[in-house]
Amino acid sequence: MPAGPRARGHVRTLARVLAVAGVLAFTLFPAYFMLVSALSARPASGTEALLPAAVTLENFRFVLVEAGFLRYLGNSLAVAALTVVGSSLLALLAAVAVARFRFRMRTTVLVLVLTVQMVPLEALVIPLFLQVRDLRMLNSLIGLSIVYIALALPFAVWMLRGFAAAVPAEVEEAAYIDGCSWGRMFWSVLFPLVAPGLVATAIFSFITAWNEFILALTFMNQSEKYTVAVGLRQFFGQYTTDWGQVMAASTVITLPVMAFFLLVQRGLVSGLTQGAVKQ
Amino acid sequence: MADSLSTRQAEDPGAPVGAPAARGTGAPTGGGRPRLSARTRRRALPWTLLAPGLAVIGILLLYPIGRVVWLSVQDYGLDNVVSGRSDFIGLDNYARLLGDRYLWTVALPNTAVFAVVAVAGTVAFGTLVALLLNTLSRFARTAVLSCIMVAWAMPAVSGTYVWVWIFDVDDGLVRRVLQTAGVVGPEGYNWFAERSAFYAIAALNVIHHGFPFVAVTVLAGLMTIPRELHEAALLDGAGAWQRFRNVTVPTIRPVFAVVTILSTIWDFKVFAQVYLMPGGSGGNRDVLNLGVWSYVRSFANQSYGLGSAIAVLLTLMLLSITVVYLRTLFRDEELR
Repeated sequence: MPAGPRARGHVRTLARVLAVAGVLAFTLFPAYFMLVSALSARPASGTEALLPAAVTLENFRFVLVEAGFLRYLGNSLAVAALTVVGSSLLALLAAVAVARFRFRMRTTVLVLVLTVQMVPLEALVIPLFLQVRDLRMLNSLIGLSIVYIALALPFAVWMLRGFAAAVPAEVEEAAYIDGCSWGRMFWSVLFPLVAPGLVATAIFSFITAWNEFILALTFMNQSEKYTVAVGLRQFFGQYTTDWGQVMAASTVITLPVMAFFLLVQRGLVSGLTQGAVKQ
Repeated sequence: MADSLSTRQAEDPGAPVGAPAARGTGAPTGGGRPRLSARTRRRALPWTLLAPGLAVIGILLLYPIGRVVWLSVQDYGLDNVVSGRSDFIGLDNYARLLGDRYLWTVALPNTAVFAVVAVAGTVAFGTLVALLLNTLSRFARTAVLSCIMVAWAMPAVSGTYVWVWIFDVDDGLVRRVLQTAGVVGPEGYNWFAERSAFYAIAALNVIHHGFPFVAVTVLAGLMTIPRELHEAALLDGAGAWQRFRNVTVPTIRPVFAVVTILSTIWDFKVFAQVYLMPGGSGGNRDVLNLGVWSYVRSFANQSYGLGSAIAVLLTLMLLSITVVYLRTLFRDEELR
């Protein structure tokens, strides 16, 4: 059947629409399924949860109030806040050093910062456990936060470096001509210009601390010190699992991360590509 | 998640250097500190700024790496944890590890084959999605991208639980659907018990979580390809596949290199995605990968020395991939 260019165009559009629909279905299905399972009252099976007959917030109430998830949320928030403050501060100083100065071993420092990100946590967890144990900081939220600062730091330096380097040298020189000291220039000129980058970096540090699993699992063995990622495990019964509750808790964990992701999405997409693509 | 963005800014050209002139240090310092020469202070400034960060990285990342290597040449069990004593045994842990059939038949294949499959799947699917997005209108593209972000934003822990629930052996969606269709009998089927099925589910989870990064990065690469290149190829009579192979791929080769190597690094060290699946925390010995095996050896079996040796092996594998990654980054221009 010979198809005219017009008919072929229609077929192409249709194929494209179907492809987009397929991608969206695959992408969004787990999130949708998590949400509907959390909202249905004791789903007996997956098919029942798919289109819940009645919507209820009971699972959320149980998870937050009775299962103590509010406490885990508090722990996670405290740890994440400390991580954000600590890593942002240290990363800002370090990023300014590597972006605004030329000094010997600068490239070495950059390679170190890059390489150290590749080390698997599985290798770090054993010595860190012994170290934290010797310091009697197991089950300490502050101890966990200090370790997370170290985990978030290399990436934060790497990311902020780009923002700090993007400030034109002329702006800095103008400040010196006006008689600023380096410290004054840093606070009044560099810092405000790098601040948006600092926000993005802070959000990523937050996500690192919020999502981290293996270290929290190892360091925190008292249930009142669990973070959200570890607290989720306790919904698994010995023999049966109430999936409505597990999904409600999963939703509670996911929401803050999603909100932050949407916040940084624009910078994320453009920022990612600057690195990989030569313009 | 954080390291998924480490490519960003990797090659931004021409980072301007604001060399602080000597007059920048001209302000008189208060107090009775001895005045260093302006030159010395200018030299010391970057190191002063770097010092706190490097100290944290040194104490909490580099020192532990040294310590895990040191632990891997010891017989370090629970009594050593309590007493702090160390029993140096040389390379015995490594000899035991490399002579263990379990490493070669189970842990290593589970790690490497899974990584290859997951990386291939992530890169292929991500690229297809990028090609699709590239044909859409600006508005549609932004809308679809926002939806794709949802998959990326889902934490590994909750994402894994959702997939476990979808494939739940008793009441899961997949079982019910297959049972209704008559593919699975009423007795059901435990896909978590068998390692290829177990890792197929893990791969689905990892690809779902990882493809947005590839799609976004490749899309950005596609958008930098000049239109004329494709038009010229079209005039020469090249078909869609030929244009993809001979125009698109060579132009954005560096992008493919970066997403492939980063995905490989992440997929080699998946932990939560395996550990949280049924049997993945040690209950089913057939499904452990190097990372989980190291963890189970150390913390469940209290054999920290052997666990460290496994961890060192995994680290060495990742390090060699990292060297390739750095070479790719540094190939074209000096890091500025």
